[in-house]
Amino acid sequence: MNKASRLSRVALYSLLTVLLLASRPLSSFAADTLEAIRNRGALLWGADAEGGAPYAYPDPQKPEQLVGFEYDLADALAAKFGVKARMVQNQWDQLIPALERGNFDIILNGLELTPDNQRRIAMSRPYFVYAQQIVTRRDTEGLTRMEDLKGKSVGVLSSSAAQRLVEKTGGVDLRIYPGNVESFRDLKAHRIEAVLLDLPIALFYAKPDPALVLSGTPFAPGYYGIGVRKHDAALLAAVNQAIEDLVQDNTLERICRKYGVWDERQERLKDYQPEVVPEKKSISTLREWPRYLPLLLRGAVTTVELSVLAMALAVLAGLVVVLMRLYGIAPLRWLAKAYVEIIRGTPLLIQLFLIYYGLPEIGIRLNAFLAAILGLGLNYAASEAENYRAGIQSIPHGQTEAALALGMNRWQALRHVVLPQALRVVIPPVTNDFIAMFKDSSIVSVITMVELTKVYGMLAMSTYDYIGLGLMTAGIYFALSYPASIFANRLERKLCYDRR
Amino acid sequence: MIAVENLVKSYNSTRVLHGVDHAQDRGEAVVLIGPSGCGKSTFLRCLNQLEVADAGRITIDGVTIEGGRPPRTSEEREQQRQLRSRSGMVFQSFNLFPHLTVLQNITAAPMVVKGLPRQEAETRARQLLAKVGLESKAPAYPAQLSGGQQQRVAIARALAMQPQVMLFDEPTSSLDPESRDEVLRVMRRLAGEGMTMIVVTHEMQFARDMADRVLFFDGGRVAESGPPDQIFSNPQHERTREFLSRATTR
Repeated sequence: MNKASRLSRVALYSLLTVLLLASRPLSSFAADTLEAIRNRGALLWGADAEGGAPYAYPDPQKPEQLVGFEYDLADALAAKFGVKARMVQNQWDQLIPALERGNFDIILNGLELTPDNQRRIAMSRPYFVYAQQIVTRRDTEGLTRMEDLKGKSVGVLSSSAAQRLVEKTGGVDLRIYPGNVESFRDLKAHRIEAVLLDLPIALFYAKPDPALVLSGTPFAPGYYGIGVRKHDAALLAAVNQAIEDLVQDNTLERICRKYGVWDERQERLKDYQPEVVPEKKSISTLREWPRYLPLLLRGAVTTVELSVLAMALAVLAGLVVVLMRLYGIAPLRWLAKAYVEIIRGTPLLIQLFLIYYGLPEIGIRLNAFLAAILGLGLNYAASEAENYRAGIQSIPHGQTEAALALGMNRWQALRHVVLPQALRVVIPPVTNDFIAMFKDSSIVSVITMVELTKVYGMLAMSTYDYIGLGLMTAGIYFALSYPASIFANRLERKLCYDRR
Repeated sequence: MIAVENLVKSYNSTRVLHGVDHAQDRGEAVVLIGPSGCGKSTFLRCLNQLEVADAGRITIDGVTIEGGRPPRTSEEREQQRQLRSRSGMVFQSFNLFPHLTVLQNITAAPMVVKGLPRQEAETRARQLLAKVGLESKAPAYPAQLSGGQQQRVAIARALAMQPQVMLFDEPTSSLDPESRDEVLRVMRRLAGEGMTMIVVTHEMQFARDMADRVLFFDGGRVAESGPPDQIFSNPQHERTREFLSRATTR
């Protein structure tokens, strides 16, 4: 064996070792997790502190310190194990996959004790009884029961019990929000008529707000439980024992009262009897594609509508910007340059938030679809303007001179000589942007648009078939973008006058 | 026909034209010679307003423009276009429009600027192509032509606007000898037909044969001017003699 191949073999082995080490889960769930927690001296609990009041959230007085009734509960729980509690921040609707990956030991974050969740992971006995609460504007009347919400636009938290309840009821114009704050903002902006959510959230956010009112009595009660991985039987038993102790010695009641979420419903915790969850065989969405593909395709229609309209806006607005920048009088030139720099230098996500949630503050209230098109279109306009600028400046100055010498004015020279030549130069980068737009458009789900990626996320959440749905979704994206590249290639070849 | 008075032009702080005077009759063919950087191309570019002179006055066929600053009002811009439309320009690097066919290169300006109907513009374009010996190349694209052919199309394109004066800015400098002869042949024919021409060139033989008058440019001024016989056989200035001895023994 020569030296080079020995070296490369050593490199390969080291790489494999690194990969093996890197793929080891944080809390090594092959071994006993309870053991690992004790050895580590810390209980890792997964939760989302963003909009997480009153469960776990940054203390408004001391933002570097977290508080919340679940935060205190985690401390009490960890104390029972003789360890410290350490929170691991994770997006709420991705807590279960993150637990399965091994990012933390337990989920303690308003996770509902539903058959769906119990099929995926093991769940402890409940530590809280929640109920659904309708929240409306103060001047709204008659929206007090679930049936009243039919035909109304109603906001819910993504993959919450409320979302499943509304979906099951049907006939409701459902708006799905990634966090708790945004839905109340839209309610006040008259974009939606009501918000349906777990009572503790309503008590914390809506009750102190003079513009909002808790409408009707809470209904559809359910339990929050702690989630652990299926095979962590020892940990589950320990957690159950700890919760029972905390219920019996009134520690739990004390914590809940501290955050104002204790009510008479919590009495049920004492005599809770677990129900047997019937096993459901796992779903292969690939095998059952006739049921799932149409749902995804419906999302894809929204994606196409969004991308095409936003790109049309970007192509036109970009042209205006570049003409201002290259041929405008001084103030227009500065304006165009500032536009490109500011749009390019700030995140699309923030721009969308400003358009959707910020503009209503000054009286401009766009619906989510228009806001999405405006946000994506104006963002991409900056990029198109730069593409055009590169294209226009690549045309030799002699071309403009020849046109002027023939008696054309500046605009005629631009229109008949420079722009047609620049067009060919800009087709590849503009096509590239168009394809990027197909994929980038998924970001608009943050302003309640339900497009392809959002549909994927929602279906994956309820079927847990990330792979099958992921393949189908990726396939749809590819089927959309590949024809666009073929079309651009053809166009480019058609305009290829100097190699004909 | 052409009257230029005291034309001054600087680029940044470098003065390129130091007050040039020139008068030319209709039908006269004038050749500008001189060392590189002496201002002859700049002079030509000022004549059709690709450059705006800092001072001086240009009159072509009754249209007068004062130097000083670029046109601002629409009236001044119209005046500039009037002056431009009196002259046709042929560039050293041809500057044909690569995205248009030969025929479209010639019809574009008459249709866009003068609003000529396509039919009429094409008929005239074909006549001009015949004149430069390229009627068969009408549907070709510039990239398919040799340099000499491209320059002949460029001449036809300039003629399509029916200028009173043709300005040639080193039209053969980037051509091989064979192509050069094709282009010079077309230019001779134009001169023979009585076209008023100003030609910036290093082709001394062409200057000797065709020019009614030769201007020797040096250091941004007309150093010497006269009929070709006088300039080439009996130059008055030391600089002219020096330049010509190098140019002819090249």
